[in-house]
Amino acid sequence: MKLDSKLPSGPLHEKWDRHKADLKLVNPANKRKHTIIVVGTGLAGASAGATLAELGYNVKSFCIQDSPRRAHSIAAQGGINAAKNYQNDGDSIWRLFYDTIKGGDYRSREANVYRLAQLSVQIIDQAVAQGVPFAREYGGLLANRSFGGAQVSRTFYARGQTGQQLLLGAYSSLLRQVDLGRVTLFSRREMLDLVVINGKARGIIVRNLVTGEIERHVADAVVLATGGYGNVYFLSTNAKNSNATAAWRCYKRGAAFANPCFTQIHPTCIPRAGHYQSKLTLMSESLRNDGRVWVPKKKGDKRHPNEIPEDERDYYLERRYPAFGNLVPRDVASRAAKAVCDEGRGVGEFGQAVYLDFADAIRRLGIDVIRDRYGNLFDMYERITGENPYEVPMRIYPAVHYTMGGLWVDYNLMSTIPGLFVLGEANFSDHGANRLGASALMQGLADGYFVIPYTIGDYIAGTELEVVSTDADAFKEAEDGVKQQIDKLLSIKGKKSVLEFHRQLGEIMWDYVGMSRNAEGLKHAIKEIRKLREEFWQNVYIPGDSRNLNKDLEFAGRVADFLELGELMAIDALHRNESCGGHFREEYQTPDGEALRDDKNFAYVAAWEYKGDGKEPELHKEPLEFEYVKPTTRSYK
Amino acid sequence: MPSFMTTVKSSVGKKFLMAITGLAMIIFLIEHLTGNFLLLQSDPVPYNKYAHFLLSFGWLLIVAELILVAFLVIHMISGISVFLKKRQARPVGYHVQGNAGGPSKKTFASTTMIYTGIIIFVFLAIHLKTFKFGPYYETTIDGVVMRDLYKLVSEVFRDPLYVGGYVVAMILLGFHLRHGFWSAFQSLGLYHPRYMPIIYGLGILIAIMLAVGFLGIPIWIYVREVVLKGAI
Amino acid sequence: MKKMTLHLRIWRQKDANTPGKLVSYTLNDVTPEMSFLEMLDVLNEHLVAKGEEPVEFDNDCREGICGMCSLVINGIPHGPEHATATCQLHMRHFKDGDTITIEPFRAKPFPVVKDLVVDRSAFDRILAAGGYISVNAGSAPDANSIPIPKEVADEAMDAAACIGCGACVAACPNASASLFVSAKISQLALLPQGQPERKRRALRMIEQMDREGFGDCSNHAECEAVCPKEISIAHIARMRREYMKAMLC
Repeated sequence: MKLDSKLPSGPLHEKWDRHKADLKLVNPANKRKHTIIVVGTGLAGASAGATLAELGYNVKSFCIQDSPRRAHSIAAQGGINAAKNYQNDGDSIWRLFYDTIKGGDYRSREANVYRLAQLSVQIIDQAVAQGVPFAREYGGLLANRSFGGAQVSRTFYARGQTGQQLLLGAYSSLLRQVDLGRVTLFSRREMLDLVVINGKARGIIVRNLVTGEIERHVADAVVLATGGYGNVYFLSTNAKNSNATAAWRCYKRGAAFANPCFTQIHPTCIPRAGHYQSKLTLMSESLRNDGRVWVPKKKGDKRHPNEIPEDERDYYLERRYPAFGNLVPRDVASRAAKAVCDEGRGVGEFGQAVYLDFADAIRRLGIDVIRDRYGNLFDMYERITGENPYEVPMRIYPAVHYTMGGLWVDYNLMSTIPGLFVLGEANFSDHGANRLGASALMQGLADGYFVIPYTIGDYIAGTELEVVSTDADAFKEAEDGVKQQIDKLLSIKGKKSVLEFHRQLGEIMWDYVGMSRNAEGLKHAIKEIRKLREEFWQNVYIPGDSRNLNKDLEFAGRVADFLELGELMAIDALHRNESCGGHFREEYQTPDGEALRDDKNFAYVAAWEYKGDGKEPELHKEPLEFEYVKPTTRSYK
Repeated sequence: MPSFMTTVKSSVGKKFLMAITGLAMIIFLIEHLTGNFLLLQSDPVPYNKYAHFLLSFGWLLIVAELILVAFLVIHMISGISVFLKKRQARPVGYHVQGNAGGPSKKTFASTTMIYTGIIIFVFLAIHLKTFKFGPYYETTIDGVVMRDLYKLVSEVFRDPLYVGGYVVAMILLGFHLRHGFWSAFQSLGLYHPRYMPIIYGLGILIAIMLAVGFLGIPIWIYVREVVLKGAI
Repeated sequence: MKKMTLHLRIWRQKDANTPGKLVSYTLNDVTPEMSFLEMLDVLNEHLVAKGEEPVEFDNDCREGICGMCSLVINGIPHGPEHATATCQLHMRHFKDGDTITIEPFRAKPFPVVKDLVVDRSAFDRILAAGGYISVNAGSAPDANSIPIPKEVADEAMDAAACIGCGACVAACPNASASLFVSAKISQLALLPQGQPERKRRALRMIEQMDREGFGDCSNHAECEAVCPKEISIAHIARMRREYMKAMLC
């Protein structure tokens, strides 16, 4: 396997335009002769499906939910970044590019990130034209808010539901194409394998989740937009159905998996309340603008927070990072919370939480101002915990939120399998080792609306695509493999539920491949995951059969893949002997506990190639070159 | 552009027609009640003169009556259609019925419109048969020969069963209007957060006033014709 | 931690073609901190441990925004808490010893797929009939070239907040989809971008809504009361104005 990133030459700000000029085009009359499969209907998948159909391609759009609108992009709260500079505060494409590269801790490609910043501007135009009701000022123009990791106000938002509104915009464009007959929707379908013929991605195998039928779908190219793999940790802010199966099966067909260990842990989530906990809920990062984070100074202090006097509280973020205080970036805040909880000073029933206290802010600004700013978040907190955050400090704890790693793609968003394109969170491309707030929506939509329509045309125009039908041997072989796996899973009839395996895997991942990692723990994790995987294939119990809606069966397949992906994450984390972004290795830190990056040895993308079951994956390195931004140490002291 | 009939049959058009005809009939009822208050007098002359005045419109009255009948028919067809469609739209019902409360306007009145409507229709048929097409008494006032409806009314409401039936029917009319009045505005698209509470309240007021007004008259006549006369 | 005992009556139905029935279960280890869906997870773990088939119910984000969760709980879609989807309903709102009846959303256009799972693709088809603004990627003017008064944008956002869960249909005594359909028509009718297709949109979406077999709206407003996003029936009134205007003008 050779990694060719196909980065265009020329000055940074001309790369994308030059590249577009060089890309081959498909004649409009020929476009309708080509079928493209798009898997996933989140921001990236819906926008790609709609745009490709607008161009004239036949699009087949697949999702696992009952409607394309349910994709998990819908849950994004805060906003979307764009270098519009409507606020006249010094923003520019360059500055957005710079913030994103720096925020990603210098582990992403300059050319990709610059293109992302350029396209950000058009995304807002497109969304507004679709009727996305962004927040506005009284004068009728668009409003902006500021977000972590930036010194300008460039985040566009629609209340706390920006992801929902952007997704509904893309979904409506997709449905318009359904109405026009250019998109066919396949909902409640789960992609279980990729079909590769003559080295090119030519189709997929899906399971109809209602009838259990296995279906073959053929196409000239496959676009994968199936999101991230945060659910490998069992507890995360991802939706319950979010999974890595489609991406993982592509990996096993030859697509390299890049930087799997880069996961983002979000510091402000509602802590877990019990063993039965099924998911974690995020509270917007904006809360840290006015809330003060603290824990008791004494270990195991079980007093009610309001009874702990001021001088017995440790406002540890303000103490450790006097310059940024409670507003340090996500990864720093998360690690600091873990550190105090590890010392035994965590609060709440399990000692796995810290306080986020608004008492000072309420005294300073009045309860009405706080209600105006955070009312809906406070309501949500109260709905879930039953506690009133106006009177009692909130309890928060970090939770897995986003995965920067994903399938490796070149500048055209094509994976190492020709004809397989990967968009959005499913690819690894733009966020390096840490993603900035309000950038995920930007990337998903940039990929779908403005990158893939150009690059897929170049592939189709420049590739000889043989006539292929679903009767081809490769389809049969793939379908048989899928059926065998399903039959095998159902035939084990062991003693332990899928949920229990997933929970156990989550615990291993969280404890050893979570917020901070070390070589010994990672080695232990690899061993434990292997053991668990072995047990899974001998002792899992799945009720029901495959000819029907069977969520346990669906989850079994996903957990089986998580059990392999988890190991790859640990292997990747173990090999990366440095601390950068979301990846913190305890061995590589400064004396005062800050991350220590190693640009000399690790300024590369780690792309892993599958070599077969039970074999070690092979590491390929794509060096990262920084021509325009010189890597520096991030400091928030 | 859909045809006129498509619009009429659509879920929105249907309710639009129901609202217009409903409101028109409410206006008729208000007029009807106002005139009928003359029955409260023990002097038959004013009421009979009023009835004669209406009849003197001749063919114009017939046109007005035909319009009312047409409105009634449209109102009923749309109501029955809503009912039938509702049964089609939920072939399997719930074992437990709940009420969400809060801003909900689901009431006993709102969920029984079809039944109160049918009973009111039956009442209306009897009402027309009894009076409009009932026995023809004559009287002469100021030298003019005219129908003595007052006499007929006074006779009919001597029957306590008949009065009882009227009272029940009018209470049901009240329920029908309690939901029907504000609902007509909503069906016409006339919703405004500031005015809707007023319209909603007004609907309750109109429902009570019309029901009490219409059921008060037979009770009063019964009292006058039977209770008081019996006492004498 | 305090444990509660609950008596559940849950609709079980093998598939769309097999008749279903309410089946009773008793759970002894429910805690007040659990969400309603986590309570069902616990039930399912017990069922799986006994070798029985778990209760299927739709859910995904579990934070009240994807619109995948449904359930009619004691006769009320999304249960007793106001402005709260089932996934954000917590067991502290129930008492030890309570009997809870759980049924699927009921409407002919929402056929039961299995147990408590229903098919809501009718909503996709209604939106495909016109719930969009026709703008191809790349052809949009600058976002600030059309100023929109804040009040208008806010009202459009109120309507746009719809999560498409279908509780409005489930709660409506007539099984009408008016609140859902009106939310989209209203959002796009309010915005200047939505004007060119305004008439066509209202006519086609309502035509599709009727074709799907939803009931007519009799203004019970039960839909607004169960809506997790508190969408007002004012939007239904606007939808009706849009439709009649499109018809008559």
